[in-house]
Amino acid sequence: MQQLVQRVHGTPKSNNSTFTSAIGARQICFFAAFILPVFRFLETPSLLSAYTEGDLLLPAVLHFLIQSLPIGALLFITSKTERGLFSLLYEKLGKVGTRVVYAILAIYYLFSTILPILDLEKYVQAVFFDTAPSMFSLTPFFLLSAFISSRQLRSFGRIADLCLPIFLIGFFGVTFMSVGKADFEAMLPWFEFPFEKIALATKNTTAHFSDAILFFPLLGDYQYKKGDGKKILGSYWVGCGFCLFFFATFYGLFTSVASTHHYALSKIGQYFSALQTLGRIDLIFSYLLTIILFYNVTLPIQFCVLCITKTLGLKQRTPTSALLNFGLFLFAFFCNRHYDGFYALVSKTLWWIFPTFSVLLPLLALLLLLGKRRTNAKNRTLKENTYAY
Amino acid sequence: MNDYIFKNLKHNLSAVKELLPAKDILTYEFETYDGTACAIIYADGMVNKQLLGDLVARPLNNLSLENEGGRYEMSDIIATIETTLLFPELKKESEWGNAVKEILDGNSLLLVDGINVGFIVGAKFLPVRAIMEPPSDVAIKGPREGFIEDIKTNMTLVRKRLKTPDLLFEQLRIGKRSDTHVVICYLDGTSNEKVKNEISQKLQEIDVDCIVDSSYIAALIAPKKHSVFKQIGSTEKPDVFCAKIAEGRVGVLVDGSPIALTFPYLLTEDLQSSEDYFVSPTMATIFRGIRFLSLIIALILPAFYVTAQIFKMQLLPLGLTLTIAGGVQGLPLSPSLEIFVVLLLLEILKEASIRMPKYVGMSLSVVGALVLGEAAVSAGFLSTPAIIVVAISGICLYTVPNFVETGSILRWIFLLVAGSIGPLGIILFATFLFYYLVDADGFGAPLLAPFSPLSKRDLRDSIVKYGFQSLSKRPITLRSKNKTRYKFKSN
Repeated sequence: MQQLVQRVHGTPKSNNSTFTSAIGARQICFFAAFILPVFRFLETPSLLSAYTEGDLLLPAVLHFLIQSLPIGALLFITSKTERGLFSLLYEKLGKVGTRVVYAILAIYYLFSTILPILDLEKYVQAVFFDTAPSMFSLTPFFLLSAFISSRQLRSFGRIADLCLPIFLIGFFGVTFMSVGKADFEAMLPWFEFPFEKIALATKNTTAHFSDAILFFPLLGDYQYKKGDGKKILGSYWVGCGFCLFFFATFYGLFTSVASTHHYALSKIGQYFSALQTLGRIDLIFSYLLTIILFYNVTLPIQFCVLCITKTLGLKQRTPTSALLNFGLFLFAFFCNRHYDGFYALVSKTLWWIFPTFSVLLPLLALLLLLGKRRTNAKNRTLKENTYAY
Repeated sequence: MNDYIFKNLKHNLSAVKELLPAKDILTYEFETYDGTACAIIYADGMVNKQLLGDLVARPLNNLSLENEGGRYEMSDIIATIETTLLFPELKKESEWGNAVKEILDGNSLLLVDGINVGFIVGAKFLPVRAIMEPPSDVAIKGPREGFIEDIKTNMTLVRKRLKTPDLLFEQLRIGKRSDTHVVICYLDGTSNEKVKNEISQKLQEIDVDCIVDSSYIAALIAPKKHSVFKQIGSTEKPDVFCAKIAEGRVGVLVDGSPIALTFPYLLTEDLQSSEDYFVSPTMATIFRGIRFLSLIIALILPAFYVTAQIFKMQLLPLGLTLTIAGGVQGLPLSPSLEIFVVLLLLEILKEASIRMPKYVGMSLSVVGALVLGEAAVSAGFLSTPAIIVVAISGICLYTVPNFVETGSILRWIFLLVAGSIGPLGIILFATFLFYYLVDADGFGAPLLAPFSPLSKRDLRDSIVKYGFQSLSKRPITLRSKNKTRYKFKSN
């Protein structure tokens, strides 16, 4: 019966009856495969094309390989805990140390929302309106975000379940309309650009690929079961596969002018021959993916609220969520016209923040844990030896 | 006032007058063969008087409560009366409180001078409606019986279909003034005990004056009181009710209501029809697919029409855009206001045709649909495309009859957000709706199950319908104790 309950609710119960996972392995897999890729369907393809043209897949693959390491590290650490990363953090760092970590993470999550929100605003204004959009057009998004951010992680897990059909319909709808017209040969020959160029492209797009740190809160109240690591990492690569296929199709469609085509999601299906008679039905599929995009963009905000409440020891998330989203609304409203400046600041000047949090931090945590375990093992041997003698 | 029945009949009769002063509470006084005074107290119109006369008054009239040695002892009198009155529902009662409740419930109270015990005679005879097909859930194939307002009949209709000792009815009385019979119905060993206990506890906590219908109960025990979404299942058909009970759900029957409640409720239930189980799985899947598609069309189409006209013209093919543009040329109303007006007219017509007498309702529909619509288009108030859009939306919504109220509200909201910020509004509201629904749990089951949380096994009877062989296990979502529903012998 317990297994059934776990399967239905995605909340595997621990042997310890008081502990319940906030999210199930299946739901984390769906998040990695179907929610994470969607933000990369907006500006990432044109950005990568601008740096490396037909080699746009190489920096992306490099990113995915790099991100797999910290994700693997986080999963490994989780496998060594009984109650997820939050409890481990508390055990290792104590109350004050944990709160400091949450505070730092809250600042990072807030920082990481800057670019997605600005991109989202531009995307909305370009894709959802034929007429001149109002400056307040994105305002309801912040109401939605405030609502979502005040919810528990359990709800996000369930949304991940729901994203499976939405993503599959949206993604295959969009790619079906574009793949026939794509000239994949335009990407050849590979490695046309020197490694420095690919490295530069990788560096300047870190903001689009910093996935690992998003796994931290999901694995926070999560009880690892044998084989979950492979499933989650495998799902992450399924998501990467979707991204690479999308990038390839995008470049195959627009070839040398790909870098000028922003918001790939809305452009990729526009040359489908049946659109003449049916209207822009490709946009319907884009809109479906936009639903997932909203969940994707609100995720760091949700995590930021979670970290703030944990830092301050607050029980209610709603006031924090409302305040934070109001602040983000003001930011989007006043800073939208300075998009280029913010883009340069985040992705070119402060780019190092992303790998620091999404790569170094999980790897550092792994090293600390392993170091600690080795010390414990040494102590235990000493103790045993002492008793033996 | 003494709480217990007196020995003296005159005292008892004056107590009855004090406790039940209403004029419809009647007393029939008679004597036994030896002259002992007796009285039957009953509510006029609620008892079978002939039965009382033949099986109570006449036998007692021929009965002597004394012999050569004198009058019987009280215990002997009680025993003699019990053996004389061959009545299936006969029980002793010594407290006035319970006796009064029984009288008001339609039973009769027999009082005999010299004994401080009354006899409750179950000669209830209430006028009941005949069992007929429920108008809200008409089936072309399958059983046509529907629940009626009498709870006993409804219990019989359930028992008739589930002839198992595991079928249990837990009886409660709710409502300080209405004292309504409410019955929790479940299969012992199959239904989720936690759900049953939760319902039982919530029902016992209800403290209201009057329960007129099961919808009162549904509103009072719903987990989210202000939600526009249905949180408790309902049906008027005993076959559907029994199928749900057999699946592992818990049901509630309310006296005076032909609508039975089922717990827990999943949103997919609204897409299902009893007929789906009487046709081939492929046909059932097609029908459910049509209903699902219709529901989406019903909710989105008016909003989509508005958004395609104001914010995103590319959504429609050029030819259609030009046709619509020709149709709406010179209209005094904006597209969103126009659709708003037509939708409002539709809702008014719907309300009026439901409330009107049947034949007037039909003529009203003709007047509304043909005359008003045609005249409004000719006069240039409304456009033909808007009327077509709203008509399609209206028809589509009725493919899912249990979702009509919620669907109407959602359609208005979709229209409002589409008129304000176009397709972005539709997408944002849909995004919100999904997040709201995944969080809505009621009575141990998530509203959006089996889609979220995903349950592969339960998907076999959701929008897609598998054959009976594939549905041998009970839905995981219901957390039934007995997991196996059918066992098939291999050929």
